[in-house]
Amino acid sequence: MRGDEGRHGHAGRVVIGTLGLDQHEVGAVAVSRILMRAGYEVIYLGRFNTPERLVHVAEQEDARLVGVSVHSWEWTAYADELVRRCHEVGIGLVVGGSVLTEADRADLLARGVDAVFGPYAAERDILDGLAAVVERIENAGAATTTGRSGDGGAEAPLAGRVVAVTGAARGLGRAYTLALVRQGAAVVANDLDADALAELAAATDVVGAGRIGAVPGDITAPGTAERLLDAALSGFGELHGLVSNAGALRSGPLLRLDDADLRLVLDVHVAATFRLLRVAGRYWRAAAKAGRGVDASVVLTTSAAGLYGFRAEAAYSAAKAATATLTRVAADEFARFGARVNAVAPIARTRLTPWLGPPPEEDADDALAAERVAPVVGWLLSDAAAGVSGRVLEAGGGRVSVPRSWEPGQSVVLAPGGTPADVDRAVRRALAAVPQPPDILTADADQVARL
Amino acid sequence: MTRDVYTPEDDRGRDYERDVADPGSYPFTRGRLRPRHAPAGGWIQRELSGEGSPRRSNRQLHELLAHGALGIDVIGDNPSMAALDPDQPMCEPAVGTTGVSLCRTQDFVELLDGIPLDRVTLSHSLPAAFAVAGQYLAGRRHGFDPAVLRGSAIQSPLYAEDCSYATFLPFDVRMRLALDSICFCLSRMPRFHAYLEDTYFISDGGLDAVEEMTLGFLELREITRRLLARGLAVDDFAPRIAVLVNCRMDVLAEVAKIRATRRLFARMMREEFGAADPRSWSVNVAVHTSGLTLTAAQPAVNIVRGAVQGLAMAMAGVQGLEISTFDEPFRTPSPVAHQLAIRTQQVIELETGVTRVQDPLGGSYYVERLTDDLEHRIRAEIDRIEALGDVGDLVEQGYFRSVFQAAMDRHSRDVQSGELSVVGVNRHVVPPADDTFLRDVAEERFAPDLEHVARIRRWRPTRDAARVRAALDDVGETVRRPDADLMAPIVAALDAEATIGEITGSLREGRGLPADPLAFAAARSTATARA
Repeated sequence: MRGDEGRHGHAGRVVIGTLGLDQHEVGAVAVSRILMRAGYEVIYLGRFNTPERLVHVAEQEDARLVGVSVHSWEWTAYADELVRRCHEVGIGLVVGGSVLTEADRADLLARGVDAVFGPYAAERDILDGLAAVVERIENAGAATTTGRSGDGGAEAPLAGRVVAVTGAARGLGRAYTLALVRQGAAVVANDLDADALAELAAATDVVGAGRIGAVPGDITAPGTAERLLDAALSGFGELHGLVSNAGALRSGPLLRLDDADLRLVLDVHVAATFRLLRVAGRYWRAAAKAGRGVDASVVLTTSAAGLYGFRAEAAYSAAKAATATLTRVAADEFARFGARVNAVAPIARTRLTPWLGPPPEEDADDALAAERVAPVVGWLLSDAAAGVSGRVLEAGGGRVSVPRSWEPGQSVVLAPGGTPADVDRAVRRALAAVPQPPDILTADADQVARL
Repeated sequence: MTRDVYTPEDDRGRDYERDVADPGSYPFTRGRLRPRHAPAGGWIQRELSGEGSPRRSNRQLHELLAHGALGIDVIGDNPSMAALDPDQPMCEPAVGTTGVSLCRTQDFVELLDGIPLDRVTLSHSLPAAFAVAGQYLAGRRHGFDPAVLRGSAIQSPLYAEDCSYATFLPFDVRMRLALDSICFCLSRMPRFHAYLEDTYFISDGGLDAVEEMTLGFLELREITRRLLARGLAVDDFAPRIAVLVNCRMDVLAEVAKIRATRRLFARMMREEFGAADPRSWSVNVAVHTSGLTLTAAQPAVNIVRGAVQGLAMAMAGVQGLEISTFDEPFRTPSPVAHQLAIRTQQVIELETGVTRVQDPLGGSYYVERLTDDLEHRIRAEIDRIEALGDVGDLVEQGYFRSVFQAAMDRHSRDVQSGELSVVGVNRHVVPPADDTFLRDVAEERFAPDLEHVARIRRWRPTRDAARVRAALDDVGETVRRPDADLMAPIVAALDAEATIGEITGSLREGRGLPADPLAFAAARSTATARA
């Protein structure tokens, strides 16, 4: 079967078939036709294939990827061999089929399959996913024949690493993305604002050709985290890092903040971060179990507001405090499969910090620029930070520091049957035994000046 | 294209006595011939079954009968459907996961242990010659006279190879096996429908109703012509013909399709093949509701689809019904799904009242008009394809394979574009995180039955090797003689403890083909044993 050059720009040659005695061809045939219409050249091997045969033909025919359609559970016996053989010869591997569950999908991706499609995957998603895999395979082929171009090791501490960044289109996220790509990483960038994201992708392409993938979408929507993982795997073959940066602010005194605003702030900062951790963590855990674990690193975003409190920012402060403690617990859990989790509390001029005022005019070196935070994030994502996990770093204004965390104070005995007066005495002794916490932050001029 | 409304205008040109007639009267549009005074309603209620070893499947059959199933539908696992033995290395990962593993007489004996074979009909989704031989031998072993055995075997020499059930046998051998097993049943198992035309499995890749019945009739006609060429009289075998059709979601079209099928069959048998016995004109119609219409999204919704399809089929007056269970997109039926599907049939029969009268939709302007339209379109397609040349040649040239592939592609495009509405897929979609109801049951998975593989491996050397060899040689020798009957040596070989894989191997060798079609995968043996 040979297709005409179609509307899709990334056409390549693919081998498609089913495995073992799985004789149902309905998916394999339908996908073959979709690909042919999109300009792919399809080598259709039909039924009764072994991994050896599929990969051998793909290699012989110089195909970019092998596509396997599964309609019974036999694939489970073949998956590892198929992945190994494809990896050995640098051919992409895509699996799809009606019997694949969400759990299978996560498992197959972790084992090293480039893209996985469940029942009734949308044609657009299939084509986009395959195009990304084909492009990656072709780039990898070009890189091995021409030698890796670009930055040398010293300037490219993140070379070969793939990082997902949320809230990437503006402010800190944009600065992180540009810095990470400059340091050699490939970035899968997410933002709610698709136009701004496209603009970022174009700008990023200048510093790191091809090392940017855009995944527009609402990070609080179900499925967005999975789409980020998919884009990383199909476009760049792996996921090493995650920067949960997307943020939203609903200001006002606690007594005036309504439920919808509270929910939004908690959703964006806490629930979405939680979901990102779950999706990436499940992938890394499964990959480690499959013997192909990576040195993964997560950077969450907390805030001075979450550490010290910020006047009239109750929801935001609560959400960021939650994130700070989530960092501790996630680090503990992720250590079991070798992933690190840290957080930054950045201080920089962004849409969320109008009280910091406009940047100083004619000042080339704005200490409060988002670009001054990015190196710390890059460091946390790199091998240089090996062994650092569960920490919060305050960064920005040209400085980095590690805030002291909550720690046990001096304990005072509360005797059983004590009177209210006894309790009063004890609590007052406990309060006096430790220093006052720092004042909560405000947006007044003194504080801005201090920064 | 349907219109908004149908009127008496649509009845013009139709003669009630000639084209419709009362239920039980030629051309049987409104219902098949039935014994005088037989009550209206009632059909053989059964559900697809078979998983793991024959013993495990036997327990499943008993559970279904305990739920009130009136018939049995057994499907083989992927190796059994391909007539391969479970210990073939490439078969191991598939043993028992999508049906029962059957490769020897003892397997059939264990599968049917304790089943009242004189009362319960046994519908096989297995390579027909082996299904017939297996039931015959197991029935004898359990003390049943073959003359009382009931049920059906799917004959699909034209399409099985292209529709998921390839057995790696050349077309002429497949056709001989079909004809010989039909003849075997006519003489030994006269109550058995050895000639079941199954349009379900060929159409569930996406054929439409017209394509489905066109291909079904093409095969019926081809087998009929060949039986007549053997010197049989049409009335000797036509009463034993049955069809098993599909039922998709356009349920009134499916009702009309069944009515059109009864009429087409009656006219074909009487007018073209000269049948004189009214039983030859009146075809037995069973239905399997479409698995393709069921969705992996929100699997519980499939229970509703099955009920709607089942209701329509009850109104179409079918003789047997299998409802594809709600977990069908994921697996062969779970115990919960089995019970739900049987209960669905029971609710339709016992609570709704649709079976109180025969053909309750008869006389509907729309249904009658649709019946006429479908009859004409199917008839025209049969004529068009038969004019292309010998049907056997078309098979070998891949003509039908291209029809199946085009249909798969068309269905996929219709769903992708939204042209075909599928709730939960292209309409009213919910995110996976919210799609949890009954998913745990649907996604439950079990491992291939490697214990059964080991059992077969241990058993092989305990056989009388010389007896097995002689029986297999006889199979291989017989297939070389084009006019010789294959059923006798096959039954003898199974009785001598040869396996189905060995027998098909001998059939292939007799025709100069390699005995093991998957020998290239033999090197996988140790790898998959570990998996």
